[in-house]
Amino acid sequence: MIVSELILPLFMIFLTLGLGIYAAAVLDRLLAARQRIPVADSAWRSPLSNAAWLLLQQTNTTEAPDTPAWQLAPALYLSLAAMGLSLVPWSPTLIATDLATGLVLWGSFEALATVVIFLQGWAANAHLALIGAYRYVALGLSYLLISMFVLIGVALPAESLRFIDVVEAQAPLWHVIGQPLGLPLFLVVGLGLTFWGPLNLADSSDLSGGTSSEISGPLRLVWQMARMAMLVAFSAVAATAFLGGWLGPWLPGPVWVLLKTLGVLALLLWLGRSMPRVAPERCVTLMWVVLLPLAFVDLIWAGTLALLMA
Amino acid sequence: MAVSWLRKLAARGPARVFLAQGEHSEGVREYLALSPAVQLVDSPRHASVLLVAGEVPIGWRDDLRRVHDQLPAPFASVWYQSDPFDELISAPRVDTLEALPETLLATHRDLVLQRRGSSPRLLPDVPPNPWQGLGDDGHGGEGMMGGNPYGRPMAMNMQDDRRDGLTLDTLTFRLGPFHPGLPPGMQAETSLQGDLIQTWETQKRPFPESVDLPFHAARERPVSIAELERARARHHLHRLHLGLHLAGWPGLANQVLRLASDLAGQPNIAGLRRQLIRGGFFRLAQPMPGHGRLDDETVHQVGGWMARAAGVGEDARSQDASYRRLGFTPICQAEGDTASRWRQLLDETQQSIDLAHQAERLDLATANTELIETPRGPWGEDAPDDASQILEEVLPGLEWGEAMATLASLELAALETVPGEGALANQERRA
Amino acid sequence: MSLLALILVLILSLGAGLLLQALPRREHALPTYPQRAPFLGGGEPDTHAWSRYHVRYYPMALLLIAFEMEMMFMYPWAVVFVEKGAMAVMEMGMFLAILSVGIVYAWREGVFRWQ
Repeated sequence: MIVSELILPLFMIFLTLGLGIYAAAVLDRLLAARQRIPVADSAWRSPLSNAAWLLLQQTNTTEAPDTPAWQLAPALYLSLAAMGLSLVPWSPTLIATDLATGLVLWGSFEALATVVIFLQGWAANAHLALIGAYRYVALGLSYLLISMFVLIGVALPAESLRFIDVVEAQAPLWHVIGQPLGLPLFLVVGLGLTFWGPLNLADSSDLSGGTSSEISGPLRLVWQMARMAMLVAFSAVAATAFLGGWLGPWLPGPVWVLLKTLGVLALLLWLGRSMPRVAPERCVTLMWVVLLPLAFVDLIWAGTLALLMA
Repeated sequence: MAVSWLRKLAARGPARVFLAQGEHSEGVREYLALSPAVQLVDSPRHASVLLVAGEVPIGWRDDLRRVHDQLPAPFASVWYQSDPFDELISAPRVDTLEALPETLLATHRDLVLQRRGSSPRLLPDVPPNPWQGLGDDGHGGEGMMGGNPYGRPMAMNMQDDRRDGLTLDTLTFRLGPFHPGLPPGMQAETSLQGDLIQTWETQKRPFPESVDLPFHAARERPVSIAELERARARHHLHRLHLGLHLAGWPGLANQVLRLASDLAGQPNIAGLRRQLIRGGFFRLAQPMPGHGRLDDETVHQVGGWMARAAGVGEDARSQDASYRRLGFTPICQAEGDTASRWRQLLDETQQSIDLAHQAERLDLATANTELIETPRGPWGEDAPDDASQILEEVLPGLEWGEAMATLASLELAALETVPGEGALANQERRA
Repeated sequence: MSLLALILVLILSLGAGLLLQALPRREHALPTYPQRAPFLGGGEPDTHAWSRYHVRYYPMALLLIAFEMEMMFMYPWAVVFVEKGAMAVMEMGMFLAILSVGIVYAWREGVFRWQ
């Protein structure tokens, strides 16, 4: 029992996390190469050589940083990603954390991510990092509601907040088709959660790297890894909530989850590279005035469909 | 042995380079951005090599020392067309652009493989201010209150805000002269409340800006319009590259650079414009409409394409008989804000490429050497002068990201009237 | 067992994140004061960065609190939704309609702009 309920799921989580971080970095380099951004190293080796270089570099500090918070923030961000991954069912029985309130817990991880990213920027006690931190909070407060409405949309047909039930409710029709607004809106949340591409308000180039402008060496490595891990965890949750999780013919369930996760991940990475960063003020207006009403529509649509199908 | 395995792996990556631009260093950033051996970074914390490009005048050297000391160990410096500081006598000096990527990569590898020691710190290891006051930490009060904790006072200077009048702390600092978002050499003292710029005062003017050699030649003799207009298009595209880099769109920024390096072909500016519009560059990434607007007075101080973006239809090319033969009329926008300057830049790039094509067929040369239109503005009796003081009017009230986008959309340095070494080197490389 | 797994995941990943930072740390000397100054492109700040920061989106943050309260009711509502049928749709529809009016009002008042 311990093997099937604890060791096996934990093994899956850390395997996915380790391979996922690497896969995300490789995918991103491949996408960069497709955009013909010159890359010296091969895409397969470059994440490793980058990690090795950062491990050998000195960890920077500032005049009076909040050192414990500064070191804790990247590790906590990594943990949030790992815990998010532990909510994902790999098959009807293979899941690490099977809670009746799984969706709520994932929502709380999203909220905590805002805190952690803010902490990373704030702890440096440096001007550009501080601006990045506060700027990110504006985004974090805006995407939170969209995420919640969209996730409640997938909970309605399942009559449950448990991820396993959400997947099983998709047996007749995956939510990506049944709730056409759901996945696009959730992807926006994903870009925000990982401050990726158009929603990179935390680590932006106009702030010389924002929350990561003052970090170097191993600390920066963990921060980069945590961000990639969050991309993977988010993709897995999106695959579970909208792409039917383990459902699929021929292949075993866990393989389907992995394939779908990889698909969402590639989509997110591609989105991140094909748009400029949204200006913070416009971002907040966009989220509240355009995307949040769309999330309402998604919820009403999901509700009506759930009643019709029930 | 484990460590040496790690070092070998680390040496496989590109050189992470922070570029500090001195005088006459045009084209270095753009050249390195297309080089696979080099990865340009925005913060010295992310670099292992500091590249000093061009001569750094005496008044700027302390700032350079500060940037130099901010790289994490192990690090080194490489000097391009400039002499290393006396303390850094072992630092490599390079004089040709072609040799630069290789030297940067070799320096990075030597550092990682411990064949080269880390550069020494140049500034003494003392806090910026002496700690004052009482207590164990010598600053009086508790925690970070009172005196100069860790050598710096806290920001406790309640001031009224420009927008909502709340009295909160103001952060005042000097930005530049080696900040990648600012024109090379410019340093400004700015005060922020939140992320909103309250005041902006230019303290060091940017280094005079060199334009390509055809513009210098055009002041002396008739030159091929095709060559001149391609040089103009290239200049504009380099600016767009900076804007796209700041807007966090590296893929398109690189595409713009590749367009700029191959203007003799059929550069697809219309396709570029489509990508910009579809990606939301104007609608979502740029400052709000009206932000970064130049008023009537400042418009005349900057001149050139920036004035045309504000509806001033003056262009020295309309006074040139050859251009008139090509049917040249100046392009204008109405708004004069930051987004409209990017539109203007795209329009003028397209126009320059079209002009170059026509002129090539007719084999036309310029007719007027008294007054020419450089990418920086009209150059007649006087060359365009430094206009960086207009930022004191333009930037306050803007959010930080808007201010950076606005800065990128302005060309304010004086025009260098003598072709610099950088322009000569660029010319040789293209020939 | 679920909570035990969650706690194990937390401990293991947090430990890994901290260990990866801590292990190579001793090789290098502590950064000097000039190195520790915040990066401003060669310029220097007058003061530390920590301050009573002017958060420009504070009205939006207040608006969020109103919505977050509403979210608390939505979780149990989602579970019983299909059971209650059309009535649940009506109730939540009305609730959302009122909140939408709130957003429109907030937008008109410039809540989403930087104050």
